[in-house]
Amino acid sequence: MKNSTALLCDSPDAKTLLLNAGKIANRESFWLTGIGITQTLCTIVFAAIIALLINSAVYLQQSIWQQTHWWWLLALVLSIKALLPLIQSRLADKASTKIRHALRTATFQHCQQHHIHLFPTFSAAELSSLISTEIDSTRDYFAEFLPQQRLAVLAPLLIIIACSSINWLVPLIFALTAPLVPLFMIIAGHKAAEASQRNLTQLNRLGNLLADRIKGLNALQLARATVHEQESVYEQSESYRRSTMQVLRLAFLSGTLLEFFSAISVALVAVYLGLLFLGKYQIGTWSGEISLGHGIFLLMLAPEFYLPLRRLGTLYHARADAISVAEHLLRLFSNNPSNDNTPAKHPPTASQQKSLSKKINVITLRNLQTARHGQLLNKPLNLTLTPGQSVLLRGPSGIGKSTLLDTLAGFLPIAAGQLLINQQASDVFNHTQWQSRIGYIAQQPELLFDSIRHNLCLGRAFTDEQLFAALKAAQADALVRGLPKQLDYQISDSGGYLSGGQAQRIALARIFLHQPDLLLLDEPTANLDDETADLFLKALQQFTQQGGMLIMASHRISDKAFFQQVITLHSKEEATDA
Amino acid sequence: MPRLVARYFSLLWEQRSMAVIGLLLATITAIAGIALLTVSGWFISATALAGLSIAGAHSFNYFAPGAIVRGLSITRTVGRYGERVTTHEATLRVISKLRAELFKTIANKNWQENPLNNHDTSSRLLEDIKHAEALYLSALVPGFVMLLCCLLYLFAMAVFLPASSIWLVPLVLISILFMPWLYLRKVLAPQDKLHRERNQQWSTASSIFNNLRLLILHQRLEKTGTTLLDQASIADFTEKQTSLARETVLSINQVILAILTLVVLWQGLLALSAEQIEGSHLFMLLLLTLGTQEIILNGTSALANFGLGYAALERIDNLSPSQNQPEIEYKSRQFIDTKEISVLLSNLDYHYPQQASAVISQLSGTLTAPHWYWLTAPSGHGKTTLQHLLTGRLTPSSGSINIHGSHVEQINSMPQKIDLLRGTVRYNLCLHQTHTDEALIEALALVELDDWLQQLPDGLNTWLGHSERMPSGGELKRLGIARLLLQDSRILLLDEPTAGIDQPRAARILNKLHQHWAGKLVIINSHDSSLMSRSDKTFNF
Repeated sequence: MKNSTALLCDSPDAKTLLLNAGKIANRESFWLTGIGITQTLCTIVFAAIIALLINSAVYLQQSIWQQTHWWWLLALVLSIKALLPLIQSRLADKASTKIRHALRTATFQHCQQHHIHLFPTFSAAELSSLISTEIDSTRDYFAEFLPQQRLAVLAPLLIIIACSSINWLVPLIFALTAPLVPLFMIIAGHKAAEASQRNLTQLNRLGNLLADRIKGLNALQLARATVHEQESVYEQSESYRRSTMQVLRLAFLSGTLLEFFSAISVALVAVYLGLLFLGKYQIGTWSGEISLGHGIFLLMLAPEFYLPLRRLGTLYHARADAISVAEHLLRLFSNNPSNDNTPAKHPPTASQQKSLSKKINVITLRNLQTARHGQLLNKPLNLTLTPGQSVLLRGPSGIGKSTLLDTLAGFLPIAAGQLLINQQASDVFNHTQWQSRIGYIAQQPELLFDSIRHNLCLGRAFTDEQLFAALKAAQADALVRGLPKQLDYQISDSGGYLSGGQAQRIALARIFLHQPDLLLLDEPTANLDDETADLFLKALQQFTQQGGMLIMASHRISDKAFFQQVITLHSKEEATDA
Repeated sequence: MPRLVARYFSLLWEQRSMAVIGLLLATITAIAGIALLTVSGWFISATALAGLSIAGAHSFNYFAPGAIVRGLSITRTVGRYGERVTTHEATLRVISKLRAELFKTIANKNWQENPLNNHDTSSRLLEDIKHAEALYLSALVPGFVMLLCCLLYLFAMAVFLPASSIWLVPLVLISILFMPWLYLRKVLAPQDKLHRERNQQWSTASSIFNNLRLLILHQRLEKTGTTLLDQASIADFTEKQTSLARETVLSINQVILAILTLVVLWQGLLALSAEQIEGSHLFMLLLLTLGTQEIILNGTSALANFGLGYAALERIDNLSPSQNQPEIEYKSRQFIDTKEISVLLSNLDYHYPQQASAVISQLSGTLTAPHWYWLTAPSGHGKTTLQHLLTGRLTPSSGSINIHGSHVEQINSMPQKIDLLRGTVRYNLCLHQTHTDEALIEALALVELDDWLQQLPDGLNTWLGHSERMPSGGELKRLGIARLLLQDSRILLLDEPTAGIDQPRAARILNKLHQHWAGKLVIINSHDSSLMSRSDKTFNF
């Protein structure tokens, strides 16, 4: 499993990735091919018995059909044919589940390794649908397309062999038309690939439009513009329809082509056989002799020759979908934003991580500098923080306030300078013990789509009294009591009944509950109105009063009043000033 | 029948010519396919028998059957292409219309009481709605074709092998009625379960990627990741069960059809030995049976597909439950045509349906133009709610609001959170109204955004929004004021208009607004009462 994951991540292109993924279920696909061949053999045997029975009854006017063993044989062959799909679907599902599980695991491992470095190249919504919807959608490719692809070559071959035991012209007709099919399919498929790219763009546009307009519904409602917006949605929906039809027309064209060959081969074989029987010519047979039974056998196998290819043709979308998912996965795997400081280079092994002392008395930053993408951001920073103290971090946007907070939280390595804990230089990068003592609140409060209780506890056990005490300290107790189901209220992706300020206060209650030593806040008041922001900051003061240390980045001028120290970050190019 | 399903069919009715052509082509294609096999089977049997004697071979007219066989194969090919293009076109047109209509329905509802789940809504309008195609494309068309072909088949068999009908009719009936019903029974429930589990999986994934820092700091990332992978495996298992149920039913149907084949062969051979049919008919009838079976297997899922489409439309319908919202606002707001602008509140009560206590209770008072009224009440005492009640976006539980001197559309408000839409500056200001560029620039100048406009690369045509240019919080507020300035209003409601704007600028802007909206009634909700001007009043509740 480990090996296959590495193989997936290192695939050079989408097709190789799918190929490597397919290899995960090699054993299943071997059996699937075997079942497919058995099915074709059953078809051939069925045609042969029918030919034999009808030939003897009609042509030779014997009645061997009254012998029961033929009927038993027919029943057996037909039952096998009917029941094989059951095993087939079980195996196919097993294979596709196995492969998709591996894909999901590889995706999650990559995300776990690079965590916050994935942003902003990827958005949270994009990653969520990649690991769920998109990988799920490859089912048809792994379960149906892949096995069918092998069968599309093997089954026609078997039928050619079966037919050539009687006649050489009919298999020749098959063999000559067969290469035309992939040829036309490649031509049509090429066109279809271009069209489907355009179609994908239209779909994305439609999706973005819908998501955006639904998010901004309030503005549209206030401007009484919903009717007009409906027209834009309709127009975009129509352009998506037109581009979809373009793809479908081309896709159907290759399907129709197969249909055409399948139909025309039946017609050709029938007319050829008819004229042969009437003695118009004597070509194609090995011996010159031909009976009705031979004719029946050949005619029944004619449509079967194209059947596997036709089935493959109906699965065209599965392949197109899988390739686009594979491309997306590759974009993720090949994107190593944390390359310059790959966590792999600093594996967070327990031996390297010196355990921290129980109590942190002082945190000192000595000439500390942070970096993003290998670029040093701020001028060396010096700061001492003792329990009960709070620091306001200021500076223009892009100066690295968030980067400094991420560095202190151990998400990024320290680029230069030192971080001292109790006067001892410490490397806190990916230091799990250190991280468990950090609290973090961002501009968008981080709340899981789960109950308020789980959001507060996060795997630890607390009593309801403790929870409400923490909520009270964060001035959120009345709010939670007013919610339906109170602590068991489920937070949904739109936040449900929680406003931005309320969500921040619940995040704060979590801090009071877990009592981290150091609390880092990244613009927590940016999305709040002044009144709510002040409420939030007042509640925050409780934290330092209880002996916590606090660093907060903020733009708001009025926040200054709440802090003991104010530090302004300067970019490293800026001239030094007092 | 859910409203949406009814609407779907009425939209399909609008596309009836295309839908009917599609259905017709599908039928022709299916019949041509069966006929091609049947005629070919007869042709080779008949020629083989004729070929036994030289005289027979000479007198046999092979031109007509040969031409028919070729004609049928062309018909089948062309018919198939035409059918697929037409049925898809008809379906996609219906879906396109349905999507826009649904958007309108959602957009016209008030979501103050019952917040809309954004992701869910857009994904349903985008993806889930596609399942509606099943109703026509993979239910009506194959179902109709199957029924018709089976009728024709039974008729043909009754003509050639009347004695076999007693066997064939029950077998065919089981295959085309009972089996689709069984399929529906077995597949619909696991499919629904699968849908729910996949949604849960998405939700967990989204939870992880939106809360990465939190999960890492609390050492929960690994565990939540395992939960996600487990949830995915559970959903995979349900998916397996669904496909197994599907294949089981199809396999049983195949067994029934195999019995049908054997019965036809047996009855045919019997009839042949009794000289009730000609030798050339035996193989023909067998191929007729095999050809029809292919159509039946295609149609087995028709009923279930109908069920799936139906369920999908039902799910989407639940997005905007009409019963939750009073369609007709019981006349809590009265508009009285007078010159004077004023608002009269009497005994107003409101409580959110999910909350126990009322936000606003027994509120009465009068607000008259030309004044600015500052709502002063502690946070959580319903200042925003009052504004929603005035605009009619919420309906009071009891009490009444009398509005004098203003029409419904002359009450405009600026919400606390300004939504920016992905589009140009012009689009974001006009929102489908037409305004001259001068008017837009004038409005922007009033809120001191003219400098900001200057530095935009394309001026009014610059795109704003997520993944485009994002204005800061204060700029956004001022855009919201500019939007309001462009509307023709007599009563204006402002909810925290100055949050995020520094005080001197806020004072300047409010000053200009006082002049611009002279003579109008302005109701403002702001915590910063230092911005009040001398002529302003407070409305305390």
